[in-house]
Amino acid sequence: MGQLTLSEYRQLSVADIRDGIAARQFLAADVVEAALTAVEALDCQVHSFLEVTGEAARQAAAHIDQALAAETAAQPAGLGTLAGVPIAFKDNMNLEGSHTTCASRILENYHSLYTATCVARSLEAGGLSLGKLNMDEFAFGSSTETSAFGCTFNPWDLERVPGGSSGGPAAAVAAGIVTVSLGSDTGGSIRQPASFCGVVGFKPTYGLVSRYGVVAFGSSLDQVGPLGRSVADVAAVMDAIGGRDPLDCTSQHLDVKFVAKELLEAGVQGMRIGYVPDFLELDGLTGEVKRACEAAMANLEALGAQLVPVELPNAKAALAAYYVIGPCEAFSNLSRFDSVRYGYCAEAAANLGQQYEQSRAQGFGPEVIRRVMLGSYLLSAGVYDTYYYPAQQVRTLITADYARAFECCEALITPTSPRTAFRFGEIADPTSMYLSDIFTLPINIAGNGGLSLPVGMGDETGLPVGVQIIGPQFKDDQIFRVAAALEAVYAGQGSVSLAPLESILAKTGGDVQ
Amino acid sequence: MYLSEDDVRAIATYTRIALDGDELRAMCRDLNQIIESLRPITEYDLAGVAPTFHPIAGLSNVMRDDQPLPGLERQAVLDNAPESLDGQFRIPPILGDEGGDR
Repeated sequence: MGQLTLSEYRQLSVADIRDGIAARQFLAADVVEAALTAVEALDCQVHSFLEVTGEAARQAAAHIDQALAAETAAQPAGLGTLAGVPIAFKDNMNLEGSHTTCASRILENYHSLYTATCVARSLEAGGLSLGKLNMDEFAFGSSTETSAFGCTFNPWDLERVPGGSSGGPAAAVAAGIVTVSLGSDTGGSIRQPASFCGVVGFKPTYGLVSRYGVVAFGSSLDQVGPLGRSVADVAAVMDAIGGRDPLDCTSQHLDVKFVAKELLEAGVQGMRIGYVPDFLELDGLTGEVKRACEAAMANLEALGAQLVPVELPNAKAALAAYYVIGPCEAFSNLSRFDSVRYGYCAEAAANLGQQYEQSRAQGFGPEVIRRVMLGSYLLSAGVYDTYYYPAQQVRTLITADYARAFECCEALITPTSPRTAFRFGEIADPTSMYLSDIFTLPINIAGNGGLSLPVGMGDETGLPVGVQIIGPQFKDDQIFRVAAALEAVYAGQGSVSLAPLESILAKTGGDVQ
Repeated sequence: MYLSEDDVRAIATYTRIALDGDELRAMCRDLNQIIESLRPITEYDLAGVAPTFHPIAGLSNVMRDDQPLPGLERQAVLDNAPESLDGQFRIPPILGDEGGDR
């Protein structure tokens, strides 16, 4: 038994930690100290955390160690799935005793009064909460550059963005600061940063994880999911957080154990895996991502899967449908920030109307203001029938496309993002930034689950590339079966999700803040 | 051009966001550009297609039991408010311009 070095700690999986504690190789207290050392040593470079909850993590670890010390044959300690596992949460998830800022000035001083179900279930399973992670303000963005509290840096190359909006959750895992994290995904916000940072990120089918206590962005699109350095780690978190919650009326029970060997070791022999030829010819898809995706498809074929071309004829309208539905729902959800009950309040307004207007103008960043105003316009009389109603009709067509595609395959494979991580400031124009999510957002519209799996480094940029595995609604186990089989191929080629210490500790070359 | 600066000013008023002249001009440019990018939605033949307002059709809502449960502590809630007085949220006057000296 003894202390863990930083390099030992960074290598540990969920199972390594749980089994190591159970076998008394180390204490939960050793894990938490190693994690806090990692925060100290690495987060000054990565800036993935907005708040560190070290004391809460130490207390949770002590609780586990005490339970093990008191364990008898008659009374086993009953270690949870995530016992002793350092985890951190995107800062749109409430955790009592911490702030919940959504990386916005308007919530800078907001104290969480209760704990989100997904967070509570992670902690009940034995997870050690290290704190709250950076994001694009209110999750509006694909680079984490819109955070009011500064950028997060990609651990593989500090001059590049980590993706977004769950940039903090992806970077903290890739840097080896935490073992797993929770993000939220409205149009790709778990999967795109996972691909940029070379980690596994999973957006479950809409309804599989409760959103109670998670600040809403687009209520018909939002879903919570885990990020980790392996498919098995992400599966373990899903087993802890998934399922019905009486406090979220959209939550559903799925009778699946994601960490089951029968699932993760089943292989893909005989499975039909669809691909979309049109996606691979899309303008803006870089050569290296296309080649990496085709190599992943060839690997699946070599493992005994049958590749099936499928069509998603209406997917080309998904981007426009998303940028109608998302802002409309955001406009509605963000009306609650009124400067009266909580949040930032402008000084010395002459009347309540002025207080609202000044507080919201000063508290919200430019991208939030753009989306709120766009949503308001799109829902206005006369305009509603031109954009919002047709967008929901297009949603019917997109959902039907996926249902039809899954009549002839059990899973789909696509690129996750059209390119690898870009440099800070490289994409300044909002409509170009929106293209980052072209492969991910169609399934937020259709509701299906999708997982981004790292498949090595791009042959031009040398940065991580992810492919996305999509399953039929509520058949997310099929996604894990494919992802685990494919992951094993890349593990054999030495591909890892952990960014090397030398790239994290490199001096930053840019002048970003 | 879908929106004039006057239109954008009206939206700003409706969404309760105070924008000055430069901000209004920038927002007008951005919103027009974004709305142009939404045009594919208007060009679809959607006759007879039903809308889907919720991504997962055919499932029933999950409801909690109809039992009273404790809510949040009043003082804890008020501690998050910018201003409170006598157990209530405090706001400036709703009408008039006299609220500057709270």
